[in-house]
Amino acid sequence: MNFLRFIVNFIFMIVSFILQTTVFRVLDFGGVTPNLLMIFMISTAFIKGEKPGLVIGFFSGLLVDIFFGTYIGFFALIYMYIGYVFGKLHDMFFTQNLAIPIFLISLGDFIFGFICYVLMFLFRTKFDIGYYMTAIIVPEVVYTAIIAIFYYPFILRVNNLIDERELRSAKKFV
Amino acid sequence: MSPVIRRRGEEFTLPSKYLLFILTVLCVGMIVITFNTNIFTGPLNTFAGVFVVPFQKGITAVGSFLENTTEKLTSITKLIDENERLKQQIDELTIANTNLEQEKYELTELRNLYELDAQYEDYKKTGARIIGKDAGNWYHSFVIDKGTDEGIAIDMNVIAGGGLVGRVTDVGPDWAKVQSIIADNASVSGMVLSSSDNLIVSGDLELYRQGYLSFSKLVDDADKVRIGDKIVTSNISDKYLPGILIGYISTIDDDSNNLTKSGRLTPAVDFEHMNEVLVLLDLKKNIGAGDR
Repeated sequence: MNFLRFIVNFIFMIVSFILQTTVFRVLDFGGVTPNLLMIFMISTAFIKGEKPGLVIGFFSGLLVDIFFGTYIGFFALIYMYIGYVFGKLHDMFFTQNLAIPIFLISLGDFIFGFICYVLMFLFRTKFDIGYYMTAIIVPEVVYTAIIAIFYYPFILRVNNLIDERELRSAKKFV
Repeated sequence: MSPVIRRRGEEFTLPSKYLLFILTVLCVGMIVITFNTNIFTGPLNTFAGVFVVPFQKGITAVGSFLENTTEKLTSITKLIDENERLKQQIDELTIANTNLEQEKYELTELRNLYELDAQYEDYKKTGARIIGKDAGNWYHSFVIDKGTDEGIAIDMNVIAGGGLVGRVTDVGPDWAKVQSIIADNASVSGMVLSSSDNLIVSGDLELYRQGYLSFSKLVDDADKVRIGDKIVTSNISDKYLPGILIGYISTIDDDSNNLTKSGRLTPAVDFEHMNEVLVLLDLKKNIGAGDR
């Protein structure tokens, strides 16, 4: 991981977080906002593999924790494991097709929502899973998937540009 | 299989499963530490103040500017109609106002009598703008643009539009996190204003979608509490100042134990369309100490 990639990823993360907490709070549908950090994390995990996935997951989660978490490390843990697991899929799929990453992002967001429900609501004896599914988890997944259709190609493009640059500079040194 | 072997030519890299393990231990450690203490809040809050809060402030400012301009343009025709109607209303209201003034005189008399004059007009307060809302969709907390520099501290109460919004749970140099009373994990000790019966008001994600909060543990043997009664924060709450309006009762049900009652109340604040809030700069414990 070189310096440029580090800076770009850092900016992506901060921008995703800021957009998620400001702009998309205004553009919400039924009080539900898309999870941009999840899109960015799973996209990177899918494009670059498990290690960037888990590192970005860790820091994205930490960012959420600092601002909105009760305990620091809670969301970091969840995001990190999702990033790691989806990074494993990097080796299995061909990344040119848009449908697969969008599906994976939706799946990841769904898993995230479900884990949140189990850890924060089920453990406090709130059993009405049908309600939470229809009111929060599924709308969030759908909205996230729609945003991901536009956001994922952008992330992919930026990643490709950095890859090319790295390749060029590597050649120069040889 | 291991990335160490696959990436030749690079210097030593840590295999991701070890990294995962290390970070997991780190996370669990931090959860345990923040569960018991608050060592991390200082440095991390400063980081947030440097990297995130300025942008949130900027975007919110631009956002509200755009919102205002579009509203201005679209509402001119509406305003002309409204102006006509309002002029008529003024006449009606002047009459109503004279009536009300008489009643207000009566009210001040009664309030003095009732010793309810410790209303929240007396508290010191400062206005703040909401610059970011919860990243997830599960809880309702938000970030405001003032922090310790403006004298805000943890556990200060936050109100808007005359009703209780929540309390400050975390604070940085120029920002503070507010946990609202509608959050699913929040509860407030409240009191029915008319009968001084205590109850617990708790946020509920499911009910909030329908516009309600839930209350429980209301002991009301004499059946004096009615639908529409005002609920304010109670005197025995250790975080909230007494006498702040929370909402109005909309349904009451008997609990199965026949001792207590529970039900729903309509919050006094419109949480969906909240842009500015007031932070009360008095803390409950200081007020208690001052009285003694």
